[in-house]
Amino acid sequence: MELNTIKDAFDHVAKRQKLSSSKSQEVVDQVGHEIDQALAKIEATNDPLSPVNLKSILTELKLKLNTIGPLQQLEGLQKERNINLSKYPKLLEKSFNSDISKAYRNVDFDFHIVNQIVASHFYRQGLFDLGDCLINEAGESEATAIRSHFLEMYQILDALKVKNLAPALNWISTNCEKLKQNSSTLELKLHRLQFVEIIQKGTKADALSYARTYLAPLASLHVNEFQKLMVCIIWVGKPDSCPHAELMAPTHWQEFTEELTQQFCCLAGQSYQSPLSVAIAAGVEGLPTLLKLANVMAAKRQEWQAMKQLPVPVDLGKEFQFHSVFVCPVSRDQGSEENPPMLMPCLHVLCNQSIMKLSKNSSRTFKCPYCPEEVSAAQCRQLYF
Amino acid sequence: MEIDPIPNGTGSTATSTPETVATTVASIAASNTTASSKLSQLTESLKLEHQFLRVPFEHFKKTIRANHRTAEKEVSAVISSVNDVADRNEISKDDAVLSLTSLVSRLQGLKRKLEEGSRTENLQAQKCRARLDHLESADAENMSEWNNVRLKRILVDYMLRMSYYDSAMKLAESSNIQDLVDIDVFQEAKKVIDALRNQEVGPALAWCGDNKSRLKKSKSKFEFQLRLQEFVELVRSENYMRAILYARRYLAPWGATHLKELQRVMATLAFRSNTECAKYKVLFEPKQWDFLVDQFKQEFCRLYGMTLEPLLNIYLQAGLSALKTPYCYEDDCTKEDPLSQESFRKLALPLPYSKQHHSKLVCYITKELMDTENPPQVLPNGYVYSTKALKEMAEKNNGKITCPRTGLVCNYSELVKAYIS
Repeated sequence: MELNTIKDAFDHVAKRQKLSSSKSQEVVDQVGHEIDQALAKIEATNDPLSPVNLKSILTELKLKLNTIGPLQQLEGLQKERNINLSKYPKLLEKSFNSDISKAYRNVDFDFHIVNQIVASHFYRQGLFDLGDCLINEAGESEATAIRSHFLEMYQILDALKVKNLAPALNWISTNCEKLKQNSSTLELKLHRLQFVEIIQKGTKADALSYARTYLAPLASLHVNEFQKLMVCIIWVGKPDSCPHAELMAPTHWQEFTEELTQQFCCLAGQSYQSPLSVAIAAGVEGLPTLLKLANVMAAKRQEWQAMKQLPVPVDLGKEFQFHSVFVCPVSRDQGSEENPPMLMPCLHVLCNQSIMKLSKNSSRTFKCPYCPEEVSAAQCRQLYF
Repeated sequence: MEIDPIPNGTGSTATSTPETVATTVASIAASNTTASSKLSQLTESLKLEHQFLRVPFEHFKKTIRANHRTAEKEVSAVISSVNDVADRNEISKDDAVLSLTSLVSRLQGLKRKLEEGSRTENLQAQKCRARLDHLESADAENMSEWNNVRLKRILVDYMLRMSYYDSAMKLAESSNIQDLVDIDVFQEAKKVIDALRNQEVGPALAWCGDNKSRLKKSKSKFEFQLRLQEFVELVRSENYMRAILYARRYLAPWGATHLKELQRVMATLAFRSNTECAKYKVLFEPKQWDFLVDQFKQEFCRLYGMTLEPLLNIYLQAGLSALKTPYCYEDDCTKEDPLSQESFRKLALPLPYSKQHHSKLVCYITKELMDTENPPQVLPNGYVYSTKALKEMAEKNNGKITCPRTGLVCNYSELVKAYIS
């Protein structure tokens, strides 16, 4: 699909339409001109015009207009336009997938659930007004839990944008324990950011008092960082000459914001990315394959609607792989609780059913399909991914 | 059935056999093709945007048609006026001047309308071009921003179709994507839909008139259904004579093609609106108006080259099916998977599971893919984690590993590397 070709085709259509449009206006002008002339003729004669003269002017006008045939001209122009305009949609249908709803299944897709998902998505992105507006218009019940979670998060993030670390500090101290469990160093990073701000803009006294209050408790856990920060006190007011100048880099704010968002979502039991974004992104990647499949199965509509598993794999990027899926190289079956993956002594892996088949129900040894080693079913052990 | 060749696990650990060279070459080629595969993926995803380009073009065509009809109507009226005046046997000079002057001003009015119509046409052509430019602007660097805009477009489309106009406009304005969405097209539909909800067929019939030739081409019977409903309303209000006259005028022409339906509805003449007879009771129900609204939405979408379903539903179904595995429904499903959410799970219930032809394994600890660069390692109890995660753990703990799921402690040296294709 060459976008350039399509652009050129459209420009061509638009240009011709402009010409055609002005031609229509010319036709109208012609008619107006003739009437004007007739009018001028009638008004030109000062003395009472004989009815015969008047009639002849009018008849002449009528005949003139007949000859010009404006209605036929307009009709002709419209016919030309229709031809001009009919090629572009055909080009579009050829270059694009003209019906992406072919892969759509007519199953119960409850729009109430979809509305809730969309509203939650808006709350996640910080678009609280929009989310409320949607809930209102759709008449759905409010998603209060998610809304309040993300409202809190955006309050912290908005404060961070203006380098106000107070709400963040508040949140971090409230959730201190859980953050430690996730081995997060947010508390240290926060104090480091604040301290660096003081070094750049405050006084030695401020820096010292801050260090005593906030950095001291962290000293034992993060010795290196603590020492680095203390050294910086010497360069209060002259941050550029400080040997640890990389601590001043504004990227730290960005990193801190990201990590805070991640931890916040984690503790609130939410994913980092909006699930709607992920699902739609997966849909965009997977839809072309599904459309091809739907085309192939066009005649078997019933089978399409009723299938329990897609017959072909839909290749998604690795960012969409959330679960380990083991596929036995022999049977192409997916691993499950009833048919788990088994590790053979030669360190290749087959599914349990394949091993049972090859070993004739554990009665014989068999050759591993990959290497020529003899294996018995008893030597295989189950794997847990 | 072929088996892909993979290195033998119990072989000696040679450092640079031809096999390892081959695998490194293969992995380099793979990373090169990821760039080109991303590009082809982009092209494939652009191919899904037919509606995006078709709708403004149909709107453009519609304006052109409307302008033509205006011109035709006015010029025709002017010509017949001139003919009238010329054919009159007795006309005074003043009358003639009056008539002709009014015609001239009428034509001037037409000219202004046509100029404005031409301006509208240009604006709509610009919109078409802007969308083509937008498609062209998608490339590897700005992919995430472009995808963001696509998601917003899809959401605006959904909200417009569900008639949540305020929310749709809010989103379009705040993200500055008014040119990329079809608010004006749906506003036009809104008029008809609101009227139908108010049990008025006027705007709907006007719409049918505007699109007469195209509805005829698609053999649409929407106008017929509107007329039938008006007939039923006349019957309901017991205006039987008017109903019959109405039928003669508006329903009879459809008799040739839709006789059975015509007969069925005409029979309502014999009933009262509160009849209990099931077959005819249904024709009197207000639900018929909802049916007309649905019918209109379908005709409307078809005419504009839009899908019948909202884009959101189409993409969502495809995505959910592609992501759906039996593991998604387990309690310990990772939160990053959309299918860990109750709402997504409900939506995905009737959809088919995804299928994979090759094993794809994800480390429980790092959530990263376990592949040839980061192979899976097996603990003595059968639990598997990635080499990266286990190495890191061993380095921090004197070479000891603790299984995060069972608590088993062992040495890094006790692990075995599994070979999974």
